[in-house]
Amino acid sequence: MSWLRKLGDTSLTTYTVLFFAFIYLPIAIIVIYSFNSDPVNMMRWSGFTFDWYKQIFGFSNASSEAALYIESTEQLLAAIRNSLTVAAFTTTIATVIGTATALAIYRYNFFGKRFYRTLMFAPMLMPDIVLGIALLIFFVGVGMPLGIGSIIIGHCTFLISYVFIVVSARLAGMDRTLENASADLGANEWTTFRRVVLPQVMPGVIGGALLAFIISMDDLVITYFISGVGTQTLPLFIFGMLRRGIKPEVNAIAVMMLLFSFTVAALGLYFRSRRR
Amino acid sequence: MRESIIRLEGATKRFPLPEGGTITALDAIDLDVARNEFLTLLGPSGCGKTTLLHVISGFVQLDQGKILIDGDDMGTTPPHKRPVNTVFQNYALFPHMSVGDNVGYSLDIAHVGKAERVKRVGEALDLVGLGGYAARMPRQLSGGQQQRVALARAIIARPKLLLLDEPLSALDRNLRQAMQIELKNLQAELGISFIFVTHDQEEALTMSNRVAVLNGGVIQQIDTPRNTYNYPANAFVASFVGASNLFDGEVRRDGDKIVITTPENDTVEAVLRDERSLNGGGKLTAMLRPEQFSLSGTGGADNCAEIDVTVDQIVFIGSTYELLGKTAGGRQINALLSASHQTRIGEIEQSGKARLSYDPAAVHLIPADDAGAAQ
Ligand SMILES: Nc1ncnc2c1ncn2[C@@H]1O[C@H](COP(=O)(O)OP(=O)(O)O)[C@@H](O)[C@H]1O
Ligand SMILES: [Mg+2]
Repeated sequence: MSWLRKLGDTSLTTYTVLFFAFIYLPIAIIVIYSFNSDPVNMMRWSGFTFDWYKQIFGFSNASSEAALYIESTEQLLAAIRNSLTVAAFTTTIATVIGTATALAIYRYNFFGKRFYRTLMFAPMLMPDIVLGIALLIFFVGVGMPLGIGSIIIGHCTFLISYVFIVVSARLAGMDRTLENASADLGANEWTTFRRVVLPQVMPGVIGGALLAFIISMDDLVITYFISGVGTQTLPLFIFGMLRRGIKPEVNAIAVMMLLFSFTVAALGLYFRSRRR
Repeated sequence: MRESIIRLEGATKRFPLPEGGTITALDAIDLDVARNEFLTLLGPSGCGKTTLLHVISGFVQLDQGKILIDGDDMGTTPPHKRPVNTVFQNYALFPHMSVGDNVGYSLDIAHVGKAERVKRVGEALDLVGLGGYAARMPRQLSGGQQQRVALARAIIARPKLLLLDEPLSALDRNLRQAMQIELKNLQAELGISFIFVTHDQEEALTMSNRVAVLNGGVIQQIDTPRNTYNYPANAFVASFVGASNLFDGEVRRDGDKIVITTPENDTVEAVLRDERSLNGGGKLTAMLRPEQFSLSGTGGADNCAEIDVTVDQIVFIGSTYELLGKTAGGRQINALLSASHQTRIGEIEQSGKARLSYDPAAVHLIPADDAGAAQ
């Protein structure tokens, strides 16, 4: 029956290769074609170039006017700036509130605690479109102008949940007798929190913050509803570009976003692996 | 004069049960531990040992009663202000700190200077045999080593009283015995009072100045290890501390001897030392330790009493044989017989019957009230 086993082995190997190819090939193609010099047909390889990278940052105008696709580098840079601003504020606010909530629910017993915990999960399960529309109605209803501020608030509403869940998971694995040990050795509650609880939840807090940052940078649907007319984030900008046809620069932008995400994720993994 | 380091008066603690009602974890506990004393709390799981330690360290508030540490009423004093340190059952080492930082934690809290801190951490680690381990992380240590770190961390601030909650239960047998001796030496060296919790009666007997036997939140007996073993106050202590053969029954006087007749008509002879233990003539429980039996006709005192048993099993232990059998009345008997009577043991195994003798003067009598109360 050795041929049967061989067949099984072969098909398993084939399946594995196909599986990973399915996941990573499109990404690899984007990376490769971001260096393709053909300005018209993106899928036809006609030589290696850094032009698209130079072009999106306005360093060169080598291609013909017809191929010129980003009307202004300023627009792109403004979108990136907006995205970073939103992500920075959102991450800070969501991390502080999410962590504080997780700690409070871990530490204290109060009426309605379980209901409160469930409530914290809800925004994660809500469809993006529903959340986007709800937020839009809310902002218009209270008369808040749409822009960076509304995007930050909107992102916070669901990112607090993400941070809360990551930090709660970390707290759930924590040994409560450690707090007793600290008190037993003479530390008051604040010192115990600072020297025993906080260092142990820190990997969770950092992980939650990085997650919040990436999701905020990446969010399209909710942001689409609540950004108003004047403000564009990077995902909105790229989405806008695509509506006018796929041009080579989009590959370069995608590769850079990919690099950025990888860096953030690698940082996250690094902090998780430390202090275990 | 005996100087009291900790005193509990009528300490009572109840916990609510999830299904309603309450459980009394501590029931009017009176306890007095002297300076430099090694007291062991011995009792089965769930009898309230940890709760009692938590009451002393301040993690549990009493419902009733008083607790005085070195003469000061602790009342609602929070744990971090009590001059007491604990070695926790699971060690509770801070996983994100090195061994040195774990041990030096209480010195940091007390703002001890850097040079002094380094010196004292070194001394404490030397004391527990872990000199040179300061830079390691707890997870890099074996269970026994973690246990020593927990010990060093708890004694470095020289508390008035050290509480140890089953600190040796997670160690293997050899390590446990080595640590028992080390702990005992350490306690003598430091001059700190120890309250040591265990459910292992052998551990309790070998280590302590006094043993407090706890059951169902009630202290059954506080006494020296020898007295606890030889003169248990009630049937619970008799059967929890060491193996025992108990005969409860009616007492009849027979000259200077007395005879106890169980409801199944087994009889045990004893010598009455204290008229009061007769309790006005009612009932008594006689206790015989397994090693108090010997085979009839293998020597021993002339005035021995005898009892016939049917043999269920004879187990070879090494230096002794353990005989498991039943009396004529059907009561379980557990006897340790000297291994020097090989041939007799062989005969007994063949016949399935044995005649055991014991010294009536060595039979310990337990008043019926207490025996009943504990069951
Ligand atoms: N926080 C608590 N809430 C409710 N019941 C408790 C609590 N702590 C202990 N108990 C109960 O009190 C009794 C004594 O517990 P404990 O002191 O931990 O026993 P031991 O340490 O001797 O095993 C047990 O029946 C236990 O279930
Ligand atoms: Mg316990």
